[in-house]
Amino acid sequence: MTDELVEHVTCLGCGCGCDDIAVSVREGRIVEISPSCTVSKAWFGDGILPWNVLRGGQPSDLDGAVSEAARILAGARGRVLVYIGADLAVQAQRMALGAADLLGATVDTGTSDTAAGGLLAAQRRGRATATLGEVRNRGDVLLFWGTDARRYPRFHSRYALEPIGIQVPGGRNGRFVIATHVGPDQGPEPADASLTLEPDQEIAALSLMRAAVLGRPAVGALGPLTEALELVPHLLGARYAVLIHDAEPTSIARNPLRVEGLIALTQALNGPTRAALLSLRAGGNQTGAESALTWQTGFPISVDFSRGYPRYVPEDRGLDRLKAGALNAALVLGSCSFDQAASTALGRIDSIAIGPRASQLGFPTRVAIDTGVAGIHDGGVGYRMDEVPLPLRPPLQTRRSTLETLGALTRAIKSFRLPA
Amino acid sequence: MSGTRRLRLVGGTIHDPANDIDGEVRDVCIENGRVVDSLPDGAPELDVRGMIVMPGGVDMHSHLASSSCNHARRLLPEEHSIEPVSAPVLEDDVLSRSGTGGTVPSTFTTGYRYAGLGYTTVFDAAVAPVMARHSHAELDDTPCIDGGFFALMGNDEYLLRQIASGERERARDYAAWLLGATGGYAIKIVNPGGIEAWKSGQRNLSGVDDTLTRHGVTPRAILETLTDAANQLRLPHPVHIHCNNLGLPGNAAVTLATMQALAGRRAHFTHVQFHSYGGPPWSSAAVPVIEYVNAHTEVSIDVGQVMFGPAATITADGPVEYLLHKSTGRKWVNIDIELETGCGIVPFVYKDKAAVSALQWAIGLELFLLSDDPWRVVLSTDHPNGGSFLSYPALIQLLMDRGLRDERLKQINPKLLAGSALADGLTREYTLNEIAIISRAGPARLLGLKQKGHLGPGADADVTVYSRDPDIARMFATPRYVIKGGALVVEEGQLRRAPRGSRLHVRPGYDDALLPDLRTYFESYSTVAFENYPVQDIPDEPQELSP
Repeated sequence: MTDELVEHVTCLGCGCGCDDIAVSVREGRIVEISPSCTVSKAWFGDGILPWNVLRGGQPSDLDGAVSEAARILAGARGRVLVYIGADLAVQAQRMALGAADLLGATVDTGTSDTAAGGLLAAQRRGRATATLGEVRNRGDVLLFWGTDARRYPRFHSRYALEPIGIQVPGGRNGRFVIATHVGPDQGPEPADASLTLEPDQEIAALSLMRAAVLGRPAVGALGPLTEALELVPHLLGARYAVLIHDAEPTSIARNPLRVEGLIALTQALNGPTRAALLSLRAGGNQTGAESALTWQTGFPISVDFSRGYPRYVPEDRGLDRLKAGALNAALVLGSCSFDQAASTALGRIDSIAIGPRASQLGFPTRVAIDTGVAGIHDGGVGYRMDEVPLPLRPPLQTRRSTLETLGALTRAIKSFRLPA
Repeated sequence: MSGTRRLRLVGGTIHDPANDIDGEVRDVCIENGRVVDSLPDGAPELDVRGMIVMPGGVDMHSHLASSSCNHARRLLPEEHSIEPVSAPVLEDDVLSRSGTGGTVPSTFTTGYRYAGLGYTTVFDAAVAPVMARHSHAELDDTPCIDGGFFALMGNDEYLLRQIASGERERARDYAAWLLGATGGYAIKIVNPGGIEAWKSGQRNLSGVDDTLTRHGVTPRAILETLTDAANQLRLPHPVHIHCNNLGLPGNAAVTLATMQALAGRRAHFTHVQFHSYGGPPWSSAAVPVIEYVNAHTEVSIDVGQVMFGPAATITADGPVEYLLHKSTGRKWVNIDIELETGCGIVPFVYKDKAAVSALQWAIGLELFLLSDDPWRVVLSTDHPNGGSFLSYPALIQLLMDRGLRDERLKQINPKLLAGSALADGLTREYTLNEIAIISRAGPARLLGLKQKGHLGPGADADVTVYSRDPDIARMFATPRYVIKGGALVVEEGQLRRAPRGSRLHVRPGYDDALLPDLRTYFESYSTVAFENYPVQDIPDEPQELSP
């Protein structure tokens, strides 16, 4: 049996969005990916999924399951959670937002658990950033602030440290690399300079560095923070500095002001030189969900439609309202993982699951419909961590597309006469 | 009327300047989405006697559907929170959507609001090519209007390399490839060379003969190359130019130098108000700029009027937004985009008591009022940079009512208005026909949209009907009926239907010899695979090129 080779496949395993993957398929199963990394191997796997349609845990026909789901959701209008997972193409995420609007639902995403602090900081201050192509081709001084290369395996080879860039023709030799270690969050090694900070020192360090960039010298004894100030000349000497941090949670509870401090430092650097802050983001299409939420509602996360229009409720997110018992039904889309309290709450109300592995979520559902994974079985568009949209070329055929299933559900919901 | 394929608008007063009709009482006949000569007796009728009938509005320069707009939306949650918009009650089968307003409304709300204003065709004037997929997705979610976008090219690395090596034909082929790959409609230049200077360490360029150090290329060479490319490719719209030095005192000199550099070539210059400043110190240089435009029929402009109130400045011109951030202290977004272009965003408020804002307001009006040929001077606020598109009715009122204008002039900061033609007294009042030209017939013609901006047989049945009202602003803000592609979208002033619009894009031909070199460039420097760059499944067929 000859393998089928599908080229230029986009990997959504992490936010790097590498779109140079060749996927070998044999008898409907992924047998090889190249180039590969630990994250992409885990993302693609063998592509084998469950394809169940369940009502009350029992096999059902699709039309009946969709009708039942629509009836349940329409009956709970105004007290519905729509939780949008990451392994959906943006087309399906857009469709889900239409259903949420129709249902007066509260929309929540995984971003509320992960990168919300950075989004809120950028809403207060703005930000200076760049797409990965600019990072690769211009960044000559790279300041890694507590990042872990293992979480983004090809980031260094494809975008940051090693590649030859238009303004960094020497590749790694043309870049000055600074690693900042904050507690257990470690920067890359070997680096050209490094800084080690305790978690309770980093905000002060960022403030001092910014003051120095703005030409305001520090007064008094700085103790261990002197080393932070010694990095400033390297940043000022950059033609194009790139500050890189991990926007996703790591092993320690992070100071929520870290991102704001990095944003402020990066913005300040744009006076004497040029600089961009790059936020490393995890996989799936979470960035796509943030983008679609923004263009359809004006807000990137935590949107409540229960009053008939979008309200921004980052301080009262959907999962919290669910746990507080304020919601009667949920539409969970995609492979989502929840903590025990959320799973218990989802099991207590009328939950509908649609998406990859919907039939295997860890809580009882009234209806579960398995669909394909974006970029493996389903086509569409996925967003890279820098919000560049990429085409998804699924190497496997889908047996049930998420977009079409959500389209059928939305039409069915609309056919119910919804109470005002 | 729902579902009907025929409709006769009976007895309206028609303003259809493209067909030399200025206020004549006639019927307009619609069949299958097009205007036709006549309809059989018994066709459904809509009584519009006593009302004013114009083609649907055409906004040739707006920012409504781009990654930059979305960054601006995300930056401004405070605006959205105070202006929630409920879903309209629609009679057709499409899903009605709620949203939010503010200076950069959500997409569905944007579509509904444009339709509610009587506009049926809108272009986003600045899209980074690599972000084209995003713009198509936003346009998919912007109902009621036919839409498209202009692709940013004036700072593109591959293009600059071709210009540097004297390969202007390859540069033209690349522009053609890029338009086809992105589904764009026209070539856009923003601050030629200046954005690349901002990104590469040179900060900015200020004159047409400054040199981009890394490439040895001047703005003049970029302008000539892309202007000739657009004309040689027979694009329906010529190159669309945002000059160097936007927003800076004294910039009229570079604006005129840019126009002179392209003398004899068809070219469109955009938001010229922002490029018509004398000084320093600040003063109006509207007169020399509009006199040049008046005397050169190959040149067209849109004004980019400033209207007092909140705005969001969104532009690919990164360096100017940095300066605005530094001078205002307002929050600031800068995004450098993939060896192609940039993006800067700063929220702003134009205050009538602020001297520069008052000057900007006056300069825009001077450009309108001193123009000899309304077919080449288009109404725009560069939404949302000079103000929201929702302020168009108030702008129209200023143009049509000298008394109101003079009263307003008395209320604004006069500090910088010495020597201003407006302050010296401009008596002109636009007629309804001239308004029809600058808001639909003119931009449609300049965009090369033969089926738009008029009501002759074969035109798209995009029609706006206004009830006469002595309050001109109210009249233009609340059309009685809006018909889009033959469908009654607005009835009795209420949005009733929200059909999807068409995508307006072009696919010019090019020499395939370009591709091996371009592929090598992608493989060397791009982070997106060559094979993945072109957008698939662009809706609707490409528009015809010019003869």
